[in-house]
Amino acid sequence: MRQANGTTRSLASLVIAAIIVSFGVPALATDDGARAYWSARAGTNAFSFQYLRWDIDATGSLQFDPGAYIYPGADTEASVFVLSWARHLTLFNRASSLAVNLVGGNVDVDFNSGLVPAPFLPGGVLPGATLSQSSSGYADPNVQLVVNLVGTPPLESNVDLLNYEPSWTVDAAVMLAVPIGEYDADKLVNLGLNRWYGRLALPIKYHFGVFSPGYMSSFELTPSVWLFAENDDFVGQKLDNDPLWQLEAHLTHDFTRGFFGSLDALYRGGFQSEINSTEVGDELDIGNVGFTLNFQITGNVTMRTGYSSNVFGDDNLDNSILRMQFVYAWNRDSENAKKLQEGH
Amino acid sequence: MIRRTQFPGLIAVLAVSLSSLTLGAVQAEGSPQAGPRSGKPNILLIVADDLGYSDLGSYGGEINTSVLDGLAQQGVRFTDFYVSPTCSVTRSMLLSGTDNHIAGLGNMGELNAPNQMGQPGYEGVLNQRVVTVASLLRDHGYHTYMAGKWHLGLKPDQIPHARGFERDFSLLVGGGSHFADGWNLEWQIPKAPYTEDGHPVERLPKDFYSSKAYTDKTIQFIDEGRGDGKPFFAYMAFTAPHGPLHVPNDWLRRYKNRYDEGWDGIRNQRLERMRELGIVEEDVNAADRLYFLPRSTTFAPAARVMQGRKMELYAAMVEYMDDQIGRVFNYLKEIGEYDNTVVIFISDNGAEGNDLRAMVAGQLGTLGFLHAMNNFAEDGHNSLGRKGTYAEYGPLWAQVSMAPFRIYKGWTSEGGIRSPLIVSGPGVQGAGKLNKQAILHVMDIVPTLLELAGVQHPSTYKGREVTPMQGKSWVGMLEGRTQSPRTSDDWLGWELFGNRAIRQGDWKISWLYQPLGTGGWQLFNLAQDPGEENDLSAEFPEKETELIALWDQYVATNGVVIGDRSPFEGAKKALPDRVPDFDNYPPVRGMEAIPYAKLKELMAGENKEDR
Repeated sequence: MRQANGTTRSLASLVIAAIIVSFGVPALATDDGARAYWSARAGTNAFSFQYLRWDIDATGSLQFDPGAYIYPGADTEASVFVLSWARHLTLFNRASSLAVNLVGGNVDVDFNSGLVPAPFLPGGVLPGATLSQSSSGYADPNVQLVVNLVGTPPLESNVDLLNYEPSWTVDAAVMLAVPIGEYDADKLVNLGLNRWYGRLALPIKYHFGVFSPGYMSSFELTPSVWLFAENDDFVGQKLDNDPLWQLEAHLTHDFTRGFFGSLDALYRGGFQSEINSTEVGDELDIGNVGFTLNFQITGNVTMRTGYSSNVFGDDNLDNSILRMQFVYAWNRDSENAKKLQEGH
Repeated sequence: MIRRTQFPGLIAVLAVSLSSLTLGAVQAEGSPQAGPRSGKPNILLIVADDLGYSDLGSYGGEINTSVLDGLAQQGVRFTDFYVSPTCSVTRSMLLSGTDNHIAGLGNMGELNAPNQMGQPGYEGVLNQRVVTVASLLRDHGYHTYMAGKWHLGLKPDQIPHARGFERDFSLLVGGGSHFADGWNLEWQIPKAPYTEDGHPVERLPKDFYSSKAYTDKTIQFIDEGRGDGKPFFAYMAFTAPHGPLHVPNDWLRRYKNRYDEGWDGIRNQRLERMRELGIVEEDVNAADRLYFLPRSTTFAPAARVMQGRKMELYAAMVEYMDDQIGRVFNYLKEIGEYDNTVVIFISDNGAEGNDLRAMVAGQLGTLGFLHAMNNFAEDGHNSLGRKGTYAEYGPLWAQVSMAPFRIYKGWTSEGGIRSPLIVSGPGVQGAGKLNKQAILHVMDIVPTLLELAGVQHPSTYKGREVTPMQGKSWVGMLEGRTQSPRTSDDWLGWELFGNRAIRQGDWKISWLYQPLGTGGWQLFNLAQDPGEENDLSAEFPEKETELIALWDQYVATNGVVIGDRSPFEGAKKALPDRVPDFDNYPPVRGMEAIPYAKLKELMAGENKEDR
């Protein structure tokens, strides 16, 4: 019976391994992350808790979006959490996923108000003074739907997973943020944007190496565009932004079955601000490079950490992002298989 | 088409053979003869490693073996060809023409029992009591080439170059990685030793893959040796499809999902094709599924896919080997030698159903385990078949490969010792014919080849006495003058690891370790019961006694020493108890009738109301 028992063991391992999914959280000013668009078996759920720490030192750039926290002469520190739930499913007979992301945290910004145009200074603040503002609470939650276009059939069963050996895949991702986050029209610094916004993305992956835990590698490229509605009460003004163009790239590689790393790059451009229909400041032009390390802690839990910093683009805009993320993933079959294996 | 004009016929060869009778021993002492071809055919002897009886398309298999099937159409297939239960044992007989207990492989060298150590015939290598067919053919004007597995000795005087092969590229041991990493199955010699023309191969090329490398070398040797008018004897000893199941990357998914249906269905389809081809009788009494193996229909679809993957790899490995054999045939056609080449294709033993990987890897903390850790620990579903893995398809699929027979490699039941045999070439009569009358043995190949080449087997060789051959030449049969080289009084015997058997005509007695056997003699009529399921010893006690007497004769003639230890002595404890088998127990409540596709839906979570 060695064969039969071996099969049972392997099968359970497969189910468990297959639900160890990472997923990206679309949050403004950061990337989705390596292997964010890898598919899992339909019915797999994942909870993620992500902590992001931003440090931004904008010496000369001028952007007027609280979501980016980029103001001339601003020194920004933000601690943000993203709590997410995602479920993998089949839509249009393709592997798909739906994620809901709840964002919140705290942001502290010190300005040199001399570099901020007077119309946008809060009342009572004199030009040239140092101004500190902060915001804490929830930011705008968002929902993202991802549907595969090329390369990933429905992953409805373990049989589908066993037969899944992707090479090129192309997904379509649509995200919509709901403007219910913390917003105070009298402040420059807010966690909510006070406007609808969303993103269209086209995640492309090329899998190489063996599609087997411990041997997987991928090159991932995600072009996307963020679109923003008007903020009709930005310190009493109307704020519009051009689309924000984003290109995200990852080169990922398994070091062991439960450990992969990634070299990451993120470029963002566009996002020209208009206040009361007048262009203000510069277009965004910032490129970050960083790395990610992803560890599987248990059958259900993975931990991810990463760091990136700007190395190309606008010299006047230093920023660094530190990320910690925990994902707990499960599906019914894997949990039941574990019960049987453990004899409960 | 056979071009008979290129070969004067076997009768002419016989004449040459007779004329050289008195010279044989003397010539064998002398230096290699060169000279004109004198109408001698080339000989291409192809041996697959652990290939099952029913794997080839021409034997009922679903694997694409178009080259060998084409060979079968040009030549003759045989249903009752016998080898030994394991490889080196068969190879000792294949090259010497005599029984393994005389040739030095009374037991596999790696598994000699304490009481067999030091006994004559148990040297664990091809001993000096025999002379190889390669030596004799080389001495009589043949170029002799070998590419592939040797497994008959490691020392300088034991390797192919010392045993008659002018040119060789040889794996000296029993098996290992099919890729350039070249790890050996045995931890004692971590890297598998290869020789080329008698010299150790320091490093395999990066793109090394066994079947291709052996084919390249065979073609190279023939190409470099032609031009002097001498015929060649080329021995292609493939290591495919011996485990680990390794497949070149671009062939890995050649049979993707072909075997998801499960072993029972595939075996039934094979049996049906075997009936159509006439390999088995319409009402064949095939062996039951081994009692400790589950029905494939009780396995969830994903488990079937995982098990099926192993058979996919095996099938790809077999087809790849077939494809490579096709390269050799094409080359021979290009140089105009194909029609003057006698081709013999066999397997060395039954399909491998034992868990060799577990035996090799040993227990945690052992050197075997360390060896496995360093070389073949990876076992991911999509990794299997690649470098660094060790997949085997196990007893589930081995019983498919050996349909309709019982058990597999290592055992002297028909599943361990029956092999496909295809012979084609000049002088072979009856293209496309299936011979079901002849009972043949691997020992017969040497006398057949010597007769084809007009060479007499000597009584001494290079000053030492050599034992006579026990095999019988097939030449008369191949020429169509007889149906079989054996009479009804002739018999064959086997012994390995303590398992033993005698076959005479349709009758066979078999002694197998429990629980697959009874630990006592059983009697079967193979014409009615090729699956060896119905023990007739109570019904025909005199026949059993008669055959047991032949067994005693076999032991005495060949110096058989039954080992006081056997790899199968613990089988009774390792396998579950064997309980009486009833056709409808346990009741299956119609599960057998659920189509595979429906079952897949159920397991995917659809149609929950059906659960």
